[in-house]
Amino acid sequence: MSFDESFDVIVIGAGHAGCEAASAAARMGAETAIITLNLDLIGQMSCNPAVGGVAKGHLVREIDALGGIIGRVTDRTGIQFRLLNRSRGPAVQAPRAQADRALYRTEMRHTLEATPNLHLRQGLVIELIVEDGLILGVELQDTRRLRAKAVVLATGTFLNGLVHTGRRTYTAGRAGEPAAIDLAEGLKQLGFPVGRLKTGTPPRLDGRTIDWNAFEPQPADERPVPFSFSTESIEQPQIMCYVGHTTEVVHQTIRNNIHESPLYSGQISSIGPRYCPSIEDKVIKFPDKPRHQLFLEPEGHDTHEVYLNGFSTSMPAELQQELVRQIPGLDEARVIRPGYAIEYDFVDPRELSPQLETTRIKGLFLAGQINGTTGYEEAACQGLIAGINSALYVQKREPFSLLRQDSYIGVLIDDLITHGVDEPYRMFTSRSEHRLSLRYDTADSRLSPLGHTLGLLGDTAWERFNQRRQRLALLRATMDAMRVKRGDNLHTHLYQTLGCDLDNSPSLSNLVQRHDVPLSTIHHGLPPTLRTAVSLADVESVAADIIYSGYIDTQQSANERLYKHDGLLIPTNFNFTSLSSLSHEMIHRLERAHPQTFGQARRTPGMTPAALATLLVRLKSPQAA
Amino acid sequence: MPCQAGSPSISAVPASNTIVALSTPPGRSGIGVIRLSGARALDFTCSLLQDNHFSPQPNSVSLRTIYDPANGEILDRALITYFKSPRSFTGEDMVELSCHGSPILLLHIVDALLHLGARAADPGEFTLRSLSSGKINLAQAESLRDLIDAQTHAAVRQAARQLGGELSVQLQPIKDSLLKIIVPLESSLEFVEDDLPPVIAERINKQLSDLVQCVEELAQTFRAGRLLKEGLRITLAGRPNVGKSSLFNALLAKDRAIVTEIPGTTRDSLSELLNLQGIPVLITDTAGVRASSDKIESIGIERTKRAIADADLVVVVLDSSIPLTSEDQDVFVEVGASRHLFVFNKSDILSHTYQDGSLFGSQAPVIKVSAKTGAGLNDLRDALLQPFMRDFSFDGGFLITNARHFDLLQRTATSLRASNELFQQRASEELVLAHLYNALNYLGGITGETTSEEVLSHIFSTFCIGK
Repeated sequence: MSFDESFDVIVIGAGHAGCEAASAAARMGAETAIITLNLDLIGQMSCNPAVGGVAKGHLVREIDALGGIIGRVTDRTGIQFRLLNRSRGPAVQAPRAQADRALYRTEMRHTLEATPNLHLRQGLVIELIVEDGLILGVELQDTRRLRAKAVVLATGTFLNGLVHTGRRTYTAGRAGEPAAIDLAEGLKQLGFPVGRLKTGTPPRLDGRTIDWNAFEPQPADERPVPFSFSTESIEQPQIMCYVGHTTEVVHQTIRNNIHESPLYSGQISSIGPRYCPSIEDKVIKFPDKPRHQLFLEPEGHDTHEVYLNGFSTSMPAELQQELVRQIPGLDEARVIRPGYAIEYDFVDPRELSPQLETTRIKGLFLAGQINGTTGYEEAACQGLIAGINSALYVQKREPFSLLRQDSYIGVLIDDLITHGVDEPYRMFTSRSEHRLSLRYDTADSRLSPLGHTLGLLGDTAWERFNQRRQRLALLRATMDAMRVKRGDNLHTHLYQTLGCDLDNSPSLSNLVQRHDVPLSTIHHGLPPTLRTAVSLADVESVAADIIYSGYIDTQQSANERLYKHDGLLIPTNFNFTSLSSLSHEMIHRLERAHPQTFGQARRTPGMTPAALATLLVRLKSPQAA
Repeated sequence: MPCQAGSPSISAVPASNTIVALSTPPGRSGIGVIRLSGARALDFTCSLLQDNHFSPQPNSVSLRTIYDPANGEILDRALITYFKSPRSFTGEDMVELSCHGSPILLLHIVDALLHLGARAADPGEFTLRSLSSGKINLAQAESLRDLIDAQTHAAVRQAARQLGGELSVQLQPIKDSLLKIIVPLESSLEFVEDDLPPVIAERINKQLSDLVQCVEELAQTFRAGRLLKEGLRITLAGRPNVGKSSLFNALLAKDRAIVTEIPGTTRDSLSELLNLQGIPVLITDTAGVRASSDKIESIGIERTKRAIADADLVVVVLDSSIPLTSEDQDVFVEVGASRHLFVFNKSDILSHTYQDGSLFGSQAPVIKVSAKTGAGLNDLRDALLQPFMRDFSFDGGFLITNARHFDLLQRTATSLRASNELFQQRASEELVLAHLYNALNYLGGITGETTSEEVLSHIFSTFCIGK
C-alpha cells in the first residue's frame, strides 16, 4: 500500500481533545499530524465559550501541571474570570473563565503552528487503515493516504452526527459542518461496540437587540485567578455577564408546544447529560419551579453575538424566536443562530486501556466525546493522556497512566474504563474519594514532576515549579515556627479586630486554623523579606494544607485500608465462576465488567463486601494466576 | 466570642489497622479464643491487663487477669499467647486470649478492645493478611478450609442473606436519610451557579441528630441481640440452708427442687431454663458450699464450684434472719472475680440489713427477697438482667447480632456526630461532607458501597441542575 505522507502519530480532530493530543505527542518528539475538517475552526468551542468551573477547573489545572495547553490558551483569551466557591474551602474552589470564542480559536491555532514536529492537515478521514489488529494509517476523502504508527481519534460530535431542530434533521458534526459518516461505519466494521448519545446547545442572540438593564450584572473577579501555573497576569479586558430568568409564560408556551420538541416527540431517544438539560426538560421535569435561571454571555470583544446560557433547546427555529421574546428583557431580541440538539456515535470506553488505547487495535487511541464524555476539559485531559501515550507507544517507552488518588484525570479515566457510560460523563469533585487532597492549587505538586519526566514541562516551567515548591516549604516552616506574643504588633492588631485575647502565643499556623483570622492579616504578619517573596495566594495554599492536614491523614488511613488492594491485577483469563462461594449474580456482574484490577472489581456496581473479600483472598494467593 | 487558638479538634479517630475477632465459633463453649493482629495488638492487651510492662516471651503462654478498661472491673482470667511479628499466622504481631467460653463475657472483651481502638476484622481478614505476608500459600489456605469457612464462606453467605434481608431493610431508611442530608450540601458545592434552594441549617441539624439517634439505637440492639441469641447462665450459690432451692423454685414458679430444713439437702447441681423478659436464662441451683466429709456432698460442692466458674452471673444467697457467718465469707471467696449479686433470703423473718456495696468489699447490689412469700422476687428478676441491660432496649424489633456490624454502626454514628459538630461550627461543606461520606462508607461495609453515581442521581432527581 502506498502512502502520500508518513508520520509517527496522526490525530483526527482538532477540538479540545485533538489539540492537546497533537501538541503533547509533537512536543515529546513524535512527528505528528493533526487532521481537521476546517483549519479555521481549530479549537472551536461548540457550545458555551467557557472553560473551568468546579471539578472542570481542577482538570484544567491538572492538564497545565502536566504540560498541556488548554490553561495557557484560556488565560490569554479569557474575558471573564471568576473563582467559584471562593467563600468555601480551598478543595472545592476552582477557576472558571469565559473565553472570546474567536480569539480562542486563533490562539489555539497559533499555539499548534508554533509547535515543532506538528503538521496541520485539512481533510475528512473516511477510513482507518488496519492490518492484523495493527493501525497503519488513515485515508482521506480527497484520496490522500497518510501513514502513522499510532492514531488518536478525537471526533467529538462528528461521528455520525445528526442535528435536530424541531422536526427537521440533517447529518452534521456541528451545525453547518459535515459529519464523519464513513469513519463511523468503519469503526462498527472493526467490531467496536458503538452507542448513541445526545447533547444540545441554546440559541445565540444579537446583543444589540437585548435590553441589558432588565438583567442583573455579574462582574468578573477583581483579582482573576489564572488557570496556568505559568501565567503571571490576565491581560484581556474583562467583560460583564448578565443573569435573568424565564417566566411562567415561557413555560406555558413550551408545554403547549412540547410535541414540537424532538426530545418529547420520540424523534430523539438517545440520552443527554442530566446536568445540561434542555429548557424543555427543565420545564417538564420540574413543573413546580416558577422560573429558571439564564445567563447572557457575550461571545467576545469583537462581536455582538450573545450566548443564552441555560436555554438549550431543539424546538423549531421560529418557536425558539417566540420563546426568547417572552423572556423579560428579550422582548425585542433576535436569534442569530437557533439552538439545536445533536446525536452522535460513541465507543464503549470499557474497550480502552488506562492509556486510552483500544484493546482491539494496537496503536489506536480514543479521546474525548467519542469515549462518552461531555465538556471541553474532560475532552482535553483525555487528549493529553492519549497524546502522551501515542508518543510513548511509538518511541517504545513505558506507558503512562494516572491514579485516582493523584488526580481527577485518573478518576475520569478509571471511571470510564471501569463503568462505561449511560449518559455523557462529566467530572464532579464528588466523583473523587480523595477530594480534599486534589485541590486546584496543588495540581503542580501532584503532577508537574511527571510532566517534567515525560518531557512536556519546559525548563522555565520546571524552574518555576521548583521555586514555588521551595517558597511554600519556607513559608510553611515559618508559619509553624513563628509565634505571636503579647506586645507584638500582630498580637495587638488581632486583639483589636477579634475582640479577644490570644493565649499560649499561638503560631501563625495555629491562627490559620481559626475561622476568624483573615489570611491577608497572616500575610502582613510575616517577616518583611518573606512577605515580599510570597503572594497572598501562596499563603492561601499553605493555609489550606494546614486546615486539611488532619482530615487528609484520617482520610488517607481510611482510604489506605479501603483501597489498599486496588492495584492488584486480575489475570486476563481469571475464571470468576471458580469463586464457588459467590452468588450467580455477583459472578455475572464481575464477568460483565471484566475488571482488570481489584480496584475496578471493587467499584463494579452492586458488589457486596463479602463477595469482594472472597475475590481478594483468591487474588492474594500466590497461585491465583 | 469564645477565644481559643487552633481549630476545634474534630477529626475522627483513624480506623486502626489492628484487628480483633472472636475466632472460635459463636455460642457457648469451654473456652473462647479472641485474636488480635496488628502493630498495636500487644498495646491493647496491656490495657486489658492494666499492666503497661506486660512483655511476654513470644510463643509462650501466661495466665493473667483481664480488666474492663472502662471501670477496672475484673472480666476474666485468661491464657495469653503472644506471637511476635513476623513469626505469626498473619506475619504481624498477634495476641490470642483464651478466655472462658461465656458468649457474654467474650462479647464484653471484644467490645472493650474495640473501645481501645481495635477494629472488628472483615470477613477473611486474618487469612488475607496471612496470604499477603506470604505466610501461607493457596494449598495451605485450602487446608485451612475450616478457618476460611468460619471466617469467609459463612460470612459471605450471611452477608448475602442480610443484603437481601432484614438488615438491608433496616438500613435502607438510614442510608436514604443520609443521602437526603448529603444532597443539598453536595449540590451547593458542585452547582455553585445554579439556582438552588438555600441550605436550611436547622433542618440539616435536626436531620443529623435524628439520624445519629437512629443509628445508635440500632447499634445498641447488639447486646440484646447477643443476649437473645446466646442466653444467660445464672448460678445460685451460698452456704447450706440459706434457701437456694426455695428461691430456685420460686423463680421457676414450680416445685422443681426438693426443699427441706435439713442443711445439705441439695446434693447435686440442678438446672432449669427460665424465660426472663424473652431472654433464655439457664438457672442452676447448687449444693451449699461448706467443709464436708460426706463423699457425695463433696462431689456436689465440686460441681457447685464449676457452676460458679461457668456462670455469667452468680447469685450469692444469704440468710437475713441471722448475721453473716464465716461460711458465707467462704462462699464469697469461691465466687471470686465472677460477676455476682447478693440476695438476702428470708426477708419475711427478720432483716439484718446491708446496703449495696457494703458486703465483703464488693460493689455488687444487695436484693432482699422472701422465697416463701414471694416478696422481692420481681426486684430480683430485674436485678438478674440488670448487669446485661446496659443500653438494652429490646422492643421485639430488629436486632444486630454481628460484632462487625455493631462496630460499623458505631463508626457510622461517630462520623455523623463529627459532621454535625462541624456543621454547627459553620465549617465549609466539604469538611462536613467528608464525615458524611465516611458514614456512608461504614454503612456500605454492611450493605455494599454507595457509588458517587448514586449520590449524583439523587441530586439530579431532587434539583433542577444545569445551565
